This record gives sequence, structure tokens and C-alpha cells, in this order.
Amino acid sequence: MRELLDFLVRKRHWFLFVFLEIVSLTLIYRNNAYQRNIMISSANVVTGHLVAVSGGVTSYLNLREINKELLERNGQLELQLLALQDQLEWLLTDTAAFTGVIPTDSAGQLPYDFITARVINNSVTHLSNYSTIDKGRKDGIQPDMGVVSDKGVVGIVSTVSDNFAVILPILNPKFRLSCKVLGSSYFGSLSWNGRDIRHANLDELPRHVPFQVGDTVVTSGYSAVFPEGLIVGTIDDFEKQRDDNFYSLRVTLASDFAGLSKVRVIRNYQQTERTALEQEAKRND
Amino acid sequence: MINNLLKTLVYFTVYALIQILILNHIHFLRVATPFLYLYFIVKMPVDISKVQVLMFSFLMGLVIDAFANTPGMHAAACTLAGFCRQPLINLYMGKDLPEGISPSYRAFGYGGFLRYTFSLVIIHHVTLFLIELLTLFDPLFLLIRIFASVLVTTLLICIVEAFNIGTPKSAE
Repeated sequence: MRELLDFLVRKRHWFLFVFLEIVSLTLIYRNNAYQRNIMISSANVVTGHLVAVSGGVTSYLNLREINKELLERNGQLELQLLALQDQLEWLLTDTAAFTGVIPTDSAGQLPYDFITARVINNSVTHLSNYSTIDKGRKDGIQPDMGVVSDKGVVGIVSTVSDNFAVILPILNPKFRLSCKVLGSSYFGSLSWNGRDIRHANLDELPRHVPFQVGDTVVTSGYSAVFPEGLIVGTIDDFEKQRDDNFYSLRVTLASDFAGLSKVRVIRNYQQTERTALEQEAKRND
Repeated sequence: MINNLLKTLVYFTVYALIQILILNHIHFLRVATPFLYLYFIVKMPVDISKVQVLMFSFLMGLVIDAFANTPGMHAAACTLAGFCRQPLINLYMGKDLPEGISPSYRAFGYGGFLRYTFSLVIIHHVTLFLIELLTLFDPLFLLIRIFASVLVTTLLICIVEAFNIGTPKSAE
């Protein structure tokens, strides 16, 4: 008996080792994209504030670039505004030619609005990447909201704490996005191949859909997360899939993930209604 | 004893911060990420108890995990590295080492320290990347990633150790 106890005490680091490994492996397996452990992630209070400070310092380093982008964007929007004003003027002067309908009530408005946020922690180097932003539940952010930058789609909110939220970006194999080629109505599924932060693959696009290299890929609007027509990227290359009925497209992503700094979180007022309805339809099935 | 523990805690914080704030964002040629926080496990005093080594390694992994959003991955790899530490030291250097020293060029010799570090880094990286592989495919790319990261990490640890070599004996 004494020898047995002696043995157990002498080998106690073995038991500790096995115990710690079990703890780690449990953490790994419980790490589901949507029910993530909020304690051990960068949405936790301590880690969140630390990366917020670090992000605050590093955000100054990109100011020149951001300024340039904002100027460009501003110019584009001004041009758009001018074009629209022009159109409006033309319509107003010649009322006889005006056949459209001016939306007068809320039914004609989009059910979306934006919450702007700053990216405080961002990874592009791993196989499963995540980004953290400095807005959370208090600012109205909920899981499953879409996130875009001023260049294109970024990802989906996965975990939310009071002050922070973790985004599942396109650069994560768990992320799938329904996309279509601008101008056609057939959709495919966009996912990341784990290698190259500039490209993602658009699979399951029917073969008869016409497209060219360089065409724009946009969101299809078939999920409640993103409105239709947000830019995702441009077609870079394509190949047939094994069963030959579908194309697999290589898409150059519009968002620059390595230099992500300001993002907008899309809030859809009708998302809960829509998902509840869709789920009910599935249940009744 | 208390002094030793305090020093270990300071090192813990410093290397964790370096890893989180700087090195986690480095991705050399899209394949290699240096994991300098292993230097903390490498440098723990030789006569520290195995239980303490395991606890510190696990905690270090957990902290890195928290910031990299990879619950459990670094913790599992670090715990294994911490567990293999003592057997590796015994294998390369024998059991009769002077008390109170930390692994260093002076204590182990250049070759000994390099072999010891390299083995530890390989154990850690292979575990880490294999766990990561559970979520994805592509074995050739994985091998390249492991190899590149092992090289970069070992190189970085050796460089940092080279700067440590001038410290007076009393600091060891």
C-alpha cells in the first residue's frame, strides 16, 4: 500500500499531464463557431481591453492609408450623388415621362442600418481566423449580424460580449456565404481554402451561368444576414468541378483582411422575423 | 524560492505579451509564424518541479489561446512540450547538472542547447499544427508550414539567447 502511494506521488506529474491535456482537448472540441466559450476568447473583458489598447495604438499607423481610401470613397459617392441629382432633375422637369413610383412610406425603404466599429484584434495567419471589434451587446450588436468594410463583405458576428464582439471572417473555413455573379441570378457558395488571404472559392455555380474573368461577385441576399448586391470580390480564375455540372471560381476578395481597421455591422430589423419564419417552415416540413 | 517564482512570473508576462502583441501578427511568406513564447518553457530553471513546469506551460498556452481565439490548441501543445522538457534535458545532458541553473549556451554548450531547443520546438509545433489540421486538409502545405515555423522559432530563440549570454553569473 505504501509503495503504491509512493508510486502515485512520484508519478503525480503524469496524472497532471493527462488531466491538463484532457482539459485542452475538451476546449478544442467544444470550440464551435456559434456557441463559443466566451471566457477564453478575445471577447472576454480582460483580453478585450488589452487588445483594445493595442489596437488603439496601431490604428494610428494606418491613418494615411485610411484617409486616402476615405477620400476616394468620398469622390465616388459624390459622383453617384451628382448622377442621381441629374436623373432626378430630368424626371422632375418632364413629369409626363415619369412612370416610376416614388416610395412614400416605410415599405419602400431597406430594413437595414449600420453600426460602425473599429477592429481591435485581427488574425489572417491561422487556418481559422477571427477578428475582434470594439462594439458589443451594449451597442446593439447580436450574433449572426453581417459585417462589411468600405471595400466589401468581411464576415459574420459570431460571439458577443457587453463591449466587444468576435467576427468570423471569410478567412475561416467555417464561414460560407451565398454569392452570385453580378447580373445573373444563379448562386453558389463562397468559402475559403485556408491558404491565401487574397482569394476564396465560389463553388457549386451551375455551368450554364455566363461569366467572364474579372466579373464582380456579390452577395445573393438569400440569407437574412446580408442585403443583396454587396461586393465580395472579382472572378480571378475558374475550373470545372469533378462532376462537371458546376464551376468552381477563384474569387479575388475585395476586402483587404490584412489591413482591416474600420468596419460596419449590418443590422437587419426583419432578421429575427425572417429566421423565425424560415425555421418554422423547416419544422413543419 | 519566492524570488525564482517572481522571476518566472515576470518572464511569463513579458513573453506572453511579446507573442500576443507582435509575433502573432507575423506571417512570414504566409507560412511561418514564430512562437517565441516557447522560450519561456525552454528557460525555466532545471530543478523546478515537474508539476510547476506543467502548470506554467498549460497556463501560457491558455493565455495565448485566449488572444488568438483558438481555445485549447496552444494549451494542448504547450502542456506536451512542458511534459517532454525534463526527459529531453536528461537525454541530452544527463542527470548530474549543477543546481539552480537555467538551460543556456553556457550551461548546455552551443550544441546541447540547440539540440534541446530544436527538439522542444518540433514537439510543440507538430502537435499544434496537427491539432489545427483537424479542422482542415492539405498535408503538403501543412509540412511546409511546420518546417518553416520550426526554423523561424528556433532561430529567434537562439538569437534571444545569444543576447542573454552576457548576463553575469549571479543573474542565472
